Amino acid sequence: MISLRGVSLVYPNGTRALDGIDLEIAKGSFVFLVGHSGTGKSSLLRLLYREQSPTNGTVTVDNVEVDRLRRSKIPELRRKVGVVFQDFKLLLDKTVWENVAFALQVTGARTRDVMRQVPRVLDLVGLAHKSRVFPNELSGGEQQRTAIARALVNNPKILLCDEPTGNLDPVNANEVMDLLHRINLKGTTVVVATHNALVVDRMRRRVIRLEHGRVLADEERGLYHGAAQPAASEDREDLALAARVRNGPGQDSILPE
Amino acid sequence: MQLTAIGTVTVMILLLGTFLFARETLGKIGQNITGKIEISAYLSDKTTPADAKRLISSLKRDPRVRSVSYIPKAEGLRQMSERLRGQIDTSLLTSNPLPDALRVRVVDPAQVPAVAAVVAKLPGVADVEYQRDAVERLLRFVDVMGKVGLAFVALLVVTAAIIISNTIRLTVYARRREIAIMQLVGASGTYIRLPFIFEGLLTGLAGALIAVLLLALGYWQLWQKFLQALPFLPLNGAAVDFGLFVFELLAVGALVGIIAAWFSVGRYLRA
Repeated sequence: MISLRGVSLVYPNGTRALDGIDLEIAKGSFVFLVGHSGTGKSSLLRLLYREQSPTNGTVTVDNVEVDRLRRSKIPELRRKVGVVFQDFKLLLDKTVWENVAFALQVTGARTRDVMRQVPRVLDLVGLAHKSRVFPNELSGGEQQRTAIARALVNNPKILLCDEPTGNLDPVNANEVMDLLHRINLKGTTVVVATHNALVVDRMRRRVIRLEHGRVLADEERGLYHGAAQPAASEDREDLALAARVRNGPGQDSILPE
Repeated sequence: MQLTAIGTVTVMILLLGTFLFARETLGKIGQNITGKIEISAYLSDKTTPADAKRLISSLKRDPRVRSVSYIPKAEGLRQMSERLRGQIDTSLLTSNPLPDALRVRVVDPAQVPAVAAVVAKLPGVADVEYQRDAVERLLRFVDVMGKVGLAFVALLVVTAAIIISNTIRLTVYARRREIAIMQLVGASGTYIRLPFIFEGLLTGLAGALIAVLLLALGYWQLWQKFLQALPFLPLNGAAVDFGLFVFELLAVGALVGIIAAWFSVGRYLRA
């Protein structure tokens, strides 16, 4: 689904954000991109929706060589890739409904389709009862869920999240991550760039660690700080955690299934 | 800021309209004057009336020629004594010194020199005369006025375009958050541009409309009084087709607005 080959990104001021990255992300995966601020996580995501072009290498998304795309074709790409940000990026003068519908309207969708799709995603994120509310009347978690709904309304194959829990308290952060997990279960490829160790460790998915623009580690069922703990320190809490993740969100999530 | 943009367009269209009107009017005056200018072709003594008739018919076939008349020497002498009555007593002349002549009038005064050159080369024509100085000076004057005026107007159009462009750029900047989000969710460039293009169009159109109204006011009030004060100006009827004129001015305003807006948004989107 997503593939980077020999990708380097050097900014005009000389900063080397990415250095010789080789990565493959299969369809339907759930991947964490971790590392300190400034290690290139956001830059890598930006390559995937063509907000940035790599200095070297090729970036392929859904069989399209994104780095070579003509400007006029970028909107088409953006409709296949949903993006969610730390600061939500909602239109403050529009309601929840209007914010989500906006993403459909700019693609020229018919009113019939809008009336059908918007309620569907609002249900998915659990905000159907708040359609007419404005962003400044929502909690951080609700705003992020609105942003997620907007990112999903065009049925994208990929969902990119750049520090989605950055502005959220732990409870809201978990809610949002549970939502992302459920979205992933439905088949969407999800990539989350984060430096929130708690959230990463709670889910035990593939973790790609970046440092100084290079891939330092790449582990399935990984933890934020590196390899899974050696067998000797496995205790009940770790097992319980693993079981919860395998079985999907249960009591932790207060969202409707 | 909007008002500045509209105001600039108004000034531009006012001056453009005045310039165009003046050019048309001057042109008409020039035509009226030079339309009366005749080319006199003096025939050699060897040319018979039959030859003259042949010359006349061949000249009439030239599309640039409006009319040709034959002035035999007797008639020429009579016209001259009329003109110079009181100054010279032509009855003192023992023989007619004048040659037979053709008087040629052209369709377009600008063609006078060219046609005169052609006539001079015709067999049987000894000499060709026309008020060369007056014609050439008039043609040169109109031409220079045309060029100067055009350069001036072009400068104005550029100024108006720049100001409109700046106004739009401010609006674009003010809405940059929405534009960024529109780009994020995959709106096409055209979809993003459209509202701004529309704003440019309205600005241009509004400015042009005000200018047209002012010009109309000027025409009814000032121009008519002007004509009454100078009745000797050889001008019959309006020089301009008003419907077309107004349409052209509005179109220029709208176009400048649209083009300036297009560039403005384009530069922002590319940056």
